[in-house]
Amino acid sequence: MFDKVWLIPIFPIIGVLINGLLGRRIENINKSIIHWIACGAVALSFIVTCILFFQMLGLPADQRLYEFTWFDWISGGVLHTYVAYQIDPLSMLMCLFVTGVGFLIHVYSIGYMETEEGRYYRFFTYLNLFMFSMINLVLANNYLLLFLGWEGVGLCSYLLIGFWFSEEANAIAGKKAFITNRIGDFGFIIGLLLLYTSLGEHGIWTLRFSEVFTHVHLLSPQVATAICLLLFVGCTAKSAQIPLYVWLPDAMAGPTPVSALIHAATMVTSGVYMIARSNILYSMSPFAMGVVATFGALTALFAASIGLVQNDIKKVLAYSTVSQLGYMFLGLGVGAYAAGMFHVLTHAFFKALLFLGAGSVIHSMHHGLHKIHSHVDAQDMRNMGGLKSKTPITYVTFLIATLAISGIPGFSGFFSKDEILWQAYSSPHGHFILWLIGAVAAGMTAFYMFRLVFMTFFNECRAPEGAEEHLHESPKTMTVPLMVLAFLAAVGGYLGVPHALGGSNRFERYLEPVMGLGPEKLLHKAGGAVAQGAHAAAEAVHGAVGHAAAAVHEAGMGHMAEAAHHAAEHGSMFAEYLLMGISVAIALVGIFLAYTMYIKKRDIPEKLANSYPFLYRLLLNKWYVDELYELTVIKPLHGFSVLLWKGVDVAIVDGIVNGVARIIGWFSGVIRYIQSGYVQSYAVSVVLGTVVLLVYYIIKAIS
Amino acid sequence: MELIILLICGGLTIITSLLVIFARNTVHSALWMVASFFFMAVLYLLLQAEFIAILQIIVYAGAIMMFIIYAIMMLNLRQEERAPMRKTKVVGVVALLVLFLELLVVAVGRGLLAIKGPVTDQLMAKFGHIAVLSNFLFSDYVLPFELASILLTAGVVGAVILAKQKSE
Amino acid sequence: MVAYHNLYLALSVVLFTIGAIGAITRRNAIVVFMCIEIMLGAVNLAFITFGRANQSVDGIFMVMFVMAVAAAEAAVGLAIFILMYRKRGTINVESFNLMKW
Repeated sequence: MFDKVWLIPIFPIIGVLINGLLGRRIENINKSIIHWIACGAVALSFIVTCILFFQMLGLPADQRLYEFTWFDWISGGVLHTYVAYQIDPLSMLMCLFVTGVGFLIHVYSIGYMETEEGRYYRFFTYLNLFMFSMINLVLANNYLLLFLGWEGVGLCSYLLIGFWFSEEANAIAGKKAFITNRIGDFGFIIGLLLLYTSLGEHGIWTLRFSEVFTHVHLLSPQVATAICLLLFVGCTAKSAQIPLYVWLPDAMAGPTPVSALIHAATMVTSGVYMIARSNILYSMSPFAMGVVATFGALTALFAASIGLVQNDIKKVLAYSTVSQLGYMFLGLGVGAYAAGMFHVLTHAFFKALLFLGAGSVIHSMHHGLHKIHSHVDAQDMRNMGGLKSKTPITYVTFLIATLAISGIPGFSGFFSKDEILWQAYSSPHGHFILWLIGAVAAGMTAFYMFRLVFMTFFNECRAPEGAEEHLHESPKTMTVPLMVLAFLAAVGGYLGVPHALGGSNRFERYLEPVMGLGPEKLLHKAGGAVAQGAHAAAEAVHGAVGHAAAAVHEAGMGHMAEAAHHAAEHGSMFAEYLLMGISVAIALVGIFLAYTMYIKKRDIPEKLANSYPFLYRLLLNKWYVDELYELTVIKPLHGFSVLLWKGVDVAIVDGIVNGVARIIGWFSGVIRYIQSGYVQSYAVSVVLGTVVLLVYYIIKAIS
Repeated sequence: MELIILLICGGLTIITSLLVIFARNTVHSALWMVASFFFMAVLYLLLQAEFIAILQIIVYAGAIMMFIIYAIMMLNLRQEERAPMRKTKVVGVVALLVLFLELLVVAVGRGLLAIKGPVTDQLMAKFGHIAVLSNFLFSDYVLPFELASILLTAGVVGAVILAKQKSE
Repeated sequence: MVAYHNLYLALSVVLFTIGAIGAITRRNAIVVFMCIEIMLGAVNLAFITFGRANQSVDGIFMVMFVMAVAAAEAAVGLAIFILMYRKRGTINVESFNLMKW
């Protein structure tokens, strides 16, 4: 049955072909055929994935790896690449929730896009194309096919952000996303080439995961660090980390299901997936891991701080996504790959739910505002309020997701987030500061999420006069996915209840075959491998201290690892409870603050904004990062481009070309007389030729 | 004696040739050319090429010049229209002056006159000029001679065909 | 006996140049034709001179053939002039740029 894995990507691409090529005609006949095809394709993929998944679960843990080569892709010289898929716990996990959540969002889109005329088929074509690319990304058994999927999802992201391209802002947002991703992909592909050639130096010309990871020890630590960092550059763009996160908030210009599917649940986590997949590679380079962790933690805090004051409902969620992705990278960076992946999973549930809920709210607001012909922004939370009674299902599901993301015990986010925070503190790669940043960000998350809930669903309705009675719950196609996701968001966390809470962390054990060095094992090996690696890293970095603090710190940690291990045995339970309690307390404080500021004493936010105008403006304008980039990157680049254009291209290149043309034109004008058609002119030519010949002979005779 | 006749006839040939190319009236040009050919015939005589001198007068001054005069008469061309000279022609004239100097250099060079053949003046005087020539003409040069007659026939036929074409 | 071959050759060069100048400057086709005849005459003179200097009859025969060619050329050339005149009403060589193709 495993050799039927090619069925998973083939269904969406069939959907793309049907809807993409015939969609316009189908839409004219009957709109519902289109979404039946699209949803059906994804549903079939999901079913196949489920079958394969359970079949794989039936195997012993150490046999859970199957590689299926579909066909040759590129074969030339030493390069042999195949379109080949890999079935292992990690890829199956990703595929499962990509197709599952993808299916729910497809269904949801039926309701959300129902008013779309003429572009309906295009939307579903893009969504299916996205599913195809994403499935390729997660199922690939080599880096090149992964990169194909990686680029494919980027393309779909661009297409879907700019879906309503008739408004310029949307088109610009699409371009921004695309270009930012190009920068990252540039790093990514250089990383790939470096990996390919440096392994090739040892005679292993391959990009296949299983071969790469078995030979990765051949690489020198410096090269491994360089490869990891370059791959991470790709992740910063794709998964919206500092410094390339800027496109994700703008990507909210796309339809909300797209935001949910691509820019929250699946595509943006592909960077996390990639690093988790390459965990063996990353484990070779503690420095690179330190960088990943540091950037992740900073992003988590930074994005959360922006999220505090945003008023656009989708922007808040966007910054929340960036922040949560930061958590995942924090988890990866401290070596807790399984925890990172666990957060990917739970995040996919609750963040997709949040977006879909927001979409439902926007849908309803839009409808209401449309009825009274108002042009008020349907996404601005300041125009909402009191929606609790109008849209009860949306409210309840949204609240569940909010509790999950805030890390309230019992909901999925709690388990994954606390796993990451605990690992950030306790793992040999971790550090107290990383934990602290994560905890503070968690508090902020709780605050802004509840701020969002309170502003949207509580208090009186601030929508324009008359719109209120038109606000109503969304159609079934939208609410059913909400409910399914709410269920998953609530209970998804029980897959990985940590030891400390009496669970057995099944999730981590499930991923163990893929994570060559799980955190537990790593702890054992810490004394040797890590100290070695850290030494090499310290050597490699030498001067780069600042961000590398966490990594360089390990040089010391190496010695203590053994001791730490023992300490962990005894003291870790208590410490874990303590940290868990602290982070929950921080989250509760955040919620309480939100409650006070947005329910009880609603003049506080304004007062705060007035008393700290600078800070408020800084946050509201997103730390002026866009402006900073504009000033430091875009302007000089633009100037340089103008210089190249006006100076080099027009003056020199065109000058040469035009000059040559002009010289030839002039020369042609001169030699045109040779062929004047007049006999006497030809006679002159004869004379001239004779003169030259005679000169030659005379000179020859004299000398 | 030879030198004096050479200088006089040579000078007259040059003058009449110049008059040919500078005369505005085409008929005058033609007449000056007849004169030029006569003086050239004298030079041939000086070079002891009596046969060629006779041919020169009969063929050129007689036949070819008759053609030309007839043509001028039929086309009724007396005056050549005036127009500024083309640049190419100026270039051509300059090039020709250079060519002139070069040809002089070549002509006064001794190399071309170094070889001595068997047909000496004594031979010519002994057997007679025409006899020697016809001996060669009908032995060594018989093929070119026949070809020349074919060429002339072709020329006549061509001329008739061309001139007989009706203008539409 | 002193030979003045160089003088003959110089005279030939002068005549050739005069003829050539006329051939490329004059516009009347018949005059151009006559100039070409002058050039031929100059060449004939050179041939005769060489023939005499080299004690050979080749020069004389060459001149004979040149004359034959000149006669044929005159017949065809003048026929062409008449044809040109009938078509265009002029035999100014600058009115004809037929050699372009």
